[in-house]
Amino acid sequence: MNNMENTVLSVKNLSISFGGLKAVDSLTFDIKDKEIYGLIGPNGAGKTTVFNCITQFYKPNTGEIHFKGVGGVTELTTKPVHEIIKLGLVRTFQNVELIRELSIIDNVLIGGHIDFKANTFAQALRLPNARREEKKYREEAEKILENLGILERKDMLVGGQPYGILKKVEFARTLMARPKLIILDEPAAGLNDSETLELAKLIKKIRDEYDCAILLVEHDMRLVMDICDRICAINFGKLLSIGTPKEIQQNKAVQAAYLGVE
Amino acid sequence: MKNMTKQMNILKRYPILGFVLFGLLLASIPPLASAGILKNGYVTTIGGTLIYAIAAIGLNVLLGWSGLISLGTAGFMGLAAYISAYLTMDLNLPFELAMFLAILLPTLLGVLVGLVSLKIEGLYLAIATLAVSEVLRKTFEELVPFTGGFSGKSANYPTLFGLFELDRTTTYYFIVFVLVVVMILTYNMMNGRLGRALNSMRGSEAAAQAMGVNLLTHRLIAFALATIFASVAGVLYVHFIKFSYPTTWVLKMSLDFLAIIIIGGLRSIYGTVLGAFIVTAVPDLFLKQIPYFDNLSYVLNGLLIIVVIIFYPNGLVGIGYDVKKLFYKLTKRGTKNE
Repeated sequence: MNNMENTVLSVKNLSISFGGLKAVDSLTFDIKDKEIYGLIGPNGAGKTTVFNCITQFYKPNTGEIHFKGVGGVTELTTKPVHEIIKLGLVRTFQNVELIRELSIIDNVLIGGHIDFKANTFAQALRLPNARREEKKYREEAEKILENLGILERKDMLVGGQPYGILKKVEFARTLMARPKLIILDEPAAGLNDSETLELAKLIKKIRDEYDCAILLVEHDMRLVMDICDRICAINFGKLLSIGTPKEIQQNKAVQAAYLGVE
Repeated sequence: MKNMTKQMNILKRYPILGFVLFGLLLASIPPLASAGILKNGYVTTIGGTLIYAIAAIGLNVLLGWSGLISLGTAGFMGLAAYISAYLTMDLNLPFELAMFLAILLPTLLGVLVGLVSLKIEGLYLAIATLAVSEVLRKTFEELVPFTGGFSGKSANYPTLFGLFELDRTTTYYFIVFVLVVVMILTYNMMNGRLGRALNSMRGSEAAAQAMGVNLLTHRLIAFALATIFASVAGVLYVHFIKFSYPTTWVLKMSLDFLAIIIIGGLRSIYGTVLGAFIVTAVPDLFLKQIPYFDNLSYVLNGLLIIVVIIFYPNGLVGIGYDVKKLFYKLTKRGTKNE
């Protein structure tokens, strides 16, 4: 087994191709405990594909992805997509995938789906164990919403809420699962400058208070440079460079990929 | 006025109480009929309506909550009706055992359709379920020893525990009891973990999976619940109407269920019952009284669906909120004037 000390996620020689196109080509990187890690690259670099390979929406052709979460180190590629969250690896979506017809708190409670132990029968009859469980997680969800400052909206429907609130609800939903690693898919997309600043604070706050690492797939360079401890830059599915924000900014290959070569 | 809002709050805190009161309200129909206030035929019509409501709640779980369409409700309901009739009349099995088997067998078939639903969606799923339903309907016509073919299959009012022989009125009470149980169970399930999971599956499958919702099991649960409720309705139907013909279990009936939940309200339990009343009881009780309107009830249903979709896209159950709003507006104006 790999040495996963201080490391929460280790990706080794990850490759996947669609038809003749190699979307990701033997990519290797690892994320340390409690690290805010950025994955950047120009459009079509394969960021989202890497992301989908980690969360098992795609099955990679080759490579290993080890994750240190609930129950020790797991090779993710052996797991079906709906079991990934059980290990403590949760993702958000680029376009915020919430249920408009449900209240905010019910949306957050979906994040606790895997924690509920009472079976359908017990729920249908509202047996004491099902009621207790529902109450317990509802309180937990309220605590998270309070921490994110949107508790007073808990009973409002998600449909019609402003975008910034929706992002927070999605965060709250991931936190319900007590994650070890949260993967954010372009969280700054659609936010204005002040909202992006607030998001940066929020991401740091979540890392500090909930003890988890964060992998950020992002276009907004300011946000990435601002909050990431380390950054992995890729282009055409291949690794360009890994380093601190400063190192990445000065890296010639990264500059060429983004700005072209003179 | 204050007292009334207080009562409303109690109902909100104890929704189960609301369902029970609703059941008692429905149970008041037969006494009113025997007292001569309502027509005697109302018991049969409303009983039939409540049976429709039970099956429609099942379809609402499937379409409203889970976002999976089915045009096969009538087929499954009919299958349960024939099985229950055959087991009680030809094999002389007790009602409870017959009911159990008449729910179990269609449900197994429904779960199979659920498996298929993993591969196909939307319109294709509608066609697939329609095909299943049509195969069943053809079977009802052709499998004469079991179904009686075109001449139909008769059944008796149920006998509970081998002791209590029900008549029309007591069977009606039994239907109300089952409806209330179905409403309570559905409410509990749809407002808990299962309901949230089905909701998330409808919203976005990717998000549902990322949250740990197993699509396979939840689709199977959704189809199982829909078929269980349809089967319960089928059993009640054959023992209340006492007859089952193949011409009953046709596409038109499945479409009626669709109309019921769309008119009444997707994801609304009371709305489903309301929809059942509008689609099945209103034409029978009122429209048939109007001359020439007899055969125009289909036209009315069609118009109603269009009107509802335009003005109440969340179902007629939304009218309640509008009425409440109007009520507050009026009372508020009243206090201002004082």
